[in-house]
Amino acid sequence: MLLTEQEAKKITDKILSFVKADDAQVSLRNVKQSHLRFAANAFLTSGNTVERSANITVWTKGKRGSSSTTDFDDASLKAMVEEAEKIAAISPVDPQYLPTLGQQKYRDSNGYAEATANISLDARAKKIGGILKESIKDNVISAGFHEAEATAGAQATKNGNFNFEKDTDASLSMTVRTADGQSSGYFGRSHFDINKLDTERIAREAIRKAIEGQNAKSIEPGIYNVILEPQAVADLLGGISGEFDARRAEEGRSAFSSLGGKTKLGEKIFDERINIYSDPWNAEIPASPSAQAGIPAEKIYLVKNGVLENLIYSRFWAKRENAEPTPGPVNTIIESSGKASAMDAMMQNSNEKTLLISRFWYIRTTDPRTASVTGLTRDGVWLIEKGKIAYPVKNLRFNQSIIQMLASGNVEMIGKPERLSGGTLLPALKLKEFNFTSQSEAV
Amino acid sequence: MLVVLLTLVGVYFMTISRRDFLRVTGIALGAAAIPSWVYSADLTSNPLPDFDKNKLADAALSSAKKLGASYADIRISKYRIESVSAREREIQAVAKGQNYGFGVRVLFKGTWGFAASPLVNEKEVERVTREAVDIAKANSAFQTKPITLVDAPKVSGNWKSSFKRDPFDVPIDEKIEFLLKLNEAALGVKGVSFVNSSMSWVNEQKFLATTDGTRVEQYLIRGVPSFSVTAIDRAKGDFQTRNSLAQGKGAGWEYTTEYDWLGEAKRAGEEAVGKLTAKPIVPGEYDLVLHPSHLFLTIHESVGHSTELDRALLWEANYAGTSFLTPDKTNKLQFGSKIVNFFADRTQENGLATTGWDDEGVPGQKWDLVKDGKFVGWQTTRSLAPLIGEKSSRGCLHADSWNSVPFPRMPNVSLAPAAKDVSADELISDVKNGIMIFGRGSYSIDQQRYNFQFGGQTFWEIKNGKITGMLRDVAYQSRTTDFWNACDALGGKSTYELPGTFSDGKGQPGQSSAVSHGCPVTRFRKINVLNTAAD
Repeated sequence: MLLTEQEAKKITDKILSFVKADDAQVSLRNVKQSHLRFAANAFLTSGNTVERSANITVWTKGKRGSSSTTDFDDASLKAMVEEAEKIAAISPVDPQYLPTLGQQKYRDSNGYAEATANISLDARAKKIGGILKESIKDNVISAGFHEAEATAGAQATKNGNFNFEKDTDASLSMTVRTADGQSSGYFGRSHFDINKLDTERIAREAIRKAIEGQNAKSIEPGIYNVILEPQAVADLLGGISGEFDARRAEEGRSAFSSLGGKTKLGEKIFDERINIYSDPWNAEIPASPSAQAGIPAEKIYLVKNGVLENLIYSRFWAKRENAEPTPGPVNTIIESSGKASAMDAMMQNSNEKTLLISRFWYIRTTDPRTASVTGLTRDGVWLIEKGKIAYPVKNLRFNQSIIQMLASGNVEMIGKPERLSGGTLLPALKLKEFNFTSQSEAV
Repeated sequence: MLVVLLTLVGVYFMTISRRDFLRVTGIALGAAAIPSWVYSADLTSNPLPDFDKNKLADAALSSAKKLGASYADIRISKYRIESVSAREREIQAVAKGQNYGFGVRVLFKGTWGFAASPLVNEKEVERVTREAVDIAKANSAFQTKPITLVDAPKVSGNWKSSFKRDPFDVPIDEKIEFLLKLNEAALGVKGVSFVNSSMSWVNEQKFLATTDGTRVEQYLIRGVPSFSVTAIDRAKGDFQTRNSLAQGKGAGWEYTTEYDWLGEAKRAGEEAVGKLTAKPIVPGEYDLVLHPSHLFLTIHESVGHSTELDRALLWEANYAGTSFLTPDKTNKLQFGSKIVNFFADRTQENGLATTGWDDEGVPGQKWDLVKDGKFVGWQTTRSLAPLIGEKSSRGCLHADSWNSVPFPRMPNVSLAPAAKDVSADELISDVKNGIMIFGRGSYSIDQQRYNFQFGGQTFWEIKNGKITGMLRDVAYQSRTTDFWNACDALGGKSTYELPGTFSDGKGQPGQSSAVSHGCPVTRFRKINVLNTAAD
């Protein structure tokens, strides 16, 4: 059973009653997880786990200490508080200390489904058993991961704030290979409500990609027009919200830094149709109503119509720079200001040689100044000629700047965003130039 | 930030749920650097709490048997972590944590089931064992290929990793002092703008009991001090970082004094500043002389992962990937040139993956993976060994926590040095047009461990047998077998080091493990080098 709001409140009240320090912030977390992993068309591992923890940060004369516990009895909670106070006593003054928040108002984002929190083992086994049967029938080799989890969390401060929230997440991802090992397809999706997780679509798409990817040809690396499916966009841009840190930009060490200690805030950095924002109440990817340090989350734009609208200010950096702390991000949504293009339209509008990319792999930064990254395609690449899929092609390594990729003139079409894992809602993108640097034989 | 961010996305991309969003995007503040363990307040005691582990083990194993399991094991483990981080002249975070609980694994009709709990008592042990059997039972109704295990010897005993001073006995202020001194050494260099440093210490206390009668206890210590120095040229809008070359080690507090950390911090400052005005690399073919602080990661990615049998048998196809090596290539494929010998070793002193026994009771051992350039051996577990007709396991099963399912993980995989002692200078003297590379930079390799690209921390031009100056924006691209077949000379024992990585991601749900890779300074001929700033 997950912690309820009443139980959580009782525990945070108790912890705070033990605090002798000047200020304190407490958080509780309780996670229930159930997973099933299959591979080579057989069940591999499967398990249920429970985690719970309480965490406290205290400040005594501006000196900070943190500690945590997994035991919720009085003695353990008290020991945790004392440990944090001990660490604070021997720590230097925390220059980033700001008084914790008083009571805030939070608006629930409704990202919890009971069916996800308490899944049926038999129903799941039957569903995956069906996928294995279908894979064997289609003469393909499947591997995949099914996961359902429920989280309850609470935070409270010595200054009177309290917030409780719970959420769930269910996901299935699958990689399917042909028996000869020469083709591989992948598909994965997630939903907070397991009843809305379309496992049949996931299996169908992964199997289809593997079968249609057979007899791939080698092509020369170089600059290509590309269509990135939402999964490929997630692999490349799923973590982009974290790039908008104000401090790094102002200190001159981010792609959003300008010459002489300035930032690109207010400048047009991307194509004018690109919007990057966070919205806790988005119905597809509801996210936490509480942002950094317990500030109530709001819908915020990082990029609006291609313009760098907001950098993310922590409470500390905001105070120092005379700015407002940023109420987010808590998820990442990329959306076109104009009409979303369908995948068919993207293909039909591909007059030059265009590559359709399913997914990227092992992406690493090579130059943070231009947000340049390297990585490889994986699990399905096709060449499109005259608006139609001509044939599958082998994988390629790319070296590409994210800034240049999203720049005005390089973004041709933007699709309708879809929910992917990691709290993202992302569209397919059709891009004019994407730089591939070498071939990869890997399947 | 982007480096950290994309690293995490690469490792965890399919396992991130909403609750992890803040952590993964690096937005969470405070003690975000600690692994996602669950902590307990009892931070001082060393041994597992004072109850009868054997009694709990009896309860789990006998009820698993009663419920129809053909095999079962229980791990009762405690993990402690301490981490301190600093930036410039300030301490950023001090965190101590502990995580304690147990996990039960059962094999029922050739199907695994697992359950775990932080409530360590007999009643909960019985409930969790039942839950593990229920999961296995539900799945076994649809199992297509029953899992079998090779036999393992019945063992009992205690084992401690190699360390001189337990870092958990060292007061926090000593740790703070170490980092602030380190930062001061780098900040003392003219032109240095920022320094971030941190240290993490981990202690694993693991008890394992299996239905084969094995009962073992282990106490492991490892640590990783690290730092990153940044120099900024605001006028040009340029910044360069130089991360520490020294890596994580299976060692205690003595690591902070036996290695010249202050000397390296000062040198890092000078090199970060030097990188701002270093000569950009002209892309092309170069001979490479690779230092162990760099080469260990190339070994990890191209040799360590490709010789994992679970990858070759498609068990990791949906996440970490498969391997270009397959069982039919054993004893046939020319992996590298004749001088290349790779060995797996779970007994190597100070290795991060050195263990007394693995998580199903198989003793730590040493064996060949590549002999005289030929691929000869695999990394296996008790359920992998029978699939290639082997009678015993190589002992590679490992879980990163009591609540993680143990699965195949990499042993220390190392490159043997030359028999005769050859110095780095001797290797350099025979290079007309080359680059020497130090340190772990940006790295990326495909899912079959074939095509790769590696950067580094510092790059030095070699002209006519001599190092002539600093280069920047270097990365090399190659393919695993092309690369190792291009290896034409090895340094001797005096150039051999044993660096390691603290967090190797694999599996679903994602798990992290620590592993070391020993190697000498090594030379490669005619490797394709690109300029990462020009792309």
